[in-house]
Amino acid sequence: MSAHRALHVIGSPAAAPAGPHVVFCSHCAKPPAGGVAPEVGSRVCASCGLGLLLEAPEALAPKPRDAFLVVDRSLAVQGLSKRAEKLLGLREIDALDQRVTDLLVPADAEAAGPHHLSALLVEAASGADEVTEAVVRPADEFGVRFAARIGPCGPTPGALVVLDLG
Amino acid sequence: MCTKACMVAQTCPELVLFWTEMRTLKTSEAAAMLNVSANTLRAWERRFDYPKPQRTAGKHRVYVHGEVAALRDALRDGLSISSAVSRARESLRSDTHILVGALASFEPERADGALEAALAMRSVERTVEEVLLPSMAELARRAGTDSAAWAIGSRWATDWLRRAQRMTPPPARPGAILIGDATGDELDAEAPLVRALELFVGRTGIRVASVPVARHSGVADLLRALQPGAVLIAGRSASDEAVARFAYAVRAAGGSLPLALFSRGPEEESPTSTLLHLPLSVSEATAQALALLDGAPARAGGTVLFTERSNS
Repeated sequence: MSAHRALHVIGSPAAAPAGPHVVFCSHCAKPPAGGVAPEVGSRVCASCGLGLLLEAPEALAPKPRDAFLVVDRSLAVQGLSKRAEKLLGLREIDALDQRVTDLLVPADAEAAGPHHLSALLVEAASGADEVTEAVVRPADEFGVRFAARIGPCGPTPGALVVLDLG
Repeated sequence: MCTKACMVAQTCPELVLFWTEMRTLKTSEAAAMLNVSANTLRAWERRFDYPKPQRTAGKHRVYVHGEVAALRDALRDGLSISSAVSRARESLRSDTHILVGALASFEPERADGALEAALAMRSVERTVEEVLLPSMAELARRAGTDSAAWAIGSRWATDWLRRAQRMTPPPARPGAILIGDATGDELDAEAPLVRALELFVGRTGIRVASVPVARHSGVADLLRALQPGAVLIAGRSASDEAVARFAYAVRAAGGSLPLALFSRGPEEESPTSTLLHLPLSVSEATAQALALLDGAPARAGGTVLFTERSNS
């Protein structure tokens, strides 16, 4: 009799403490010069000119070329990074105000359905100062899944979903 | 310095709104207001089509102050440029909601105020195309053109457009266009659209005259006085027979002037028709009507928007 590795349930990833906040562009994810947003003047990214400077916990903030989405408290998409546009085949302007669950759905067998993802997002957009993880897939695709980091971003309260493309 | 605007305001204060200077910004001023570079502004124009500059006679970009201000406010607490642009657009669209609400509530004074506010943010042409005409369409959809709201609203709109036309500077360039008004009466669903066409053509600096197609008696005298380079038939209420009689009278007196139809169906042109169909956008129709004066085929974006067909 061959020995089968026993399947076992692993616990949900624990929420990580948020840590210090960093600033990045909502389109290209690059940080501003000096790493801080200017106290006066424009929040527009000086590098690409197509995104606004947002802040998020360091453990969550995307790196340049990361795919990520910005969602408001009503779970409507408010921003899509350049990489996310390519990944989801959707322009930011077309994704605007769509429900995030129309674009991404949970792909985690352990997750408690779509409500779990929505709950994480609402919690993040409400300012919960922690970073959680989930497994998601594009709503119209099967066989593809991404680990996603979810947490708060600002200065206007929102939730940030950073997709780990591996 | 006393401007024509202030002279008008003194003699006719209720018309002052037409002389409200739409505040515009040069590219450098708009960029400074938003704290971005001129290149970024042009990148936004390409990606978001906003803020959408107009062009001066020298082809320089000028931005409407209201559009830039709305974007500046939206950028303060946006989560992306797209969402800020969307909110800025929405804040400009609210003028339409206010105008429809005022007209549906039989409050012409509030409607005047709504249009005055819209004029501060836009050119006269854009105010008409983006606020007044969509509001009238919405009013017709909501209340119906047989309603009291439409009767009051339509009269208000055509009065406004006629006053705007009276305030148009005198013709400053050669050329004239005769409009054969094929709407039924002042409460016709298309009356505001046709009045808007008259206004837009007049504001290009050429002469324009409008006469109901049913009143073709003495049209020869009108043609001698106006010497139009083209004739537009606008509206769909008059019968084909009435339009044909008008067209015959015009051609008999004025020769083979180019004739075009505006807002007059059917959508599918008859293969035997020699008439040109102008687009429903008043500004595009105006541009194509001017092209008729130049004898050039009217084009938009490199595409021929109407075709001339022969009887043969």
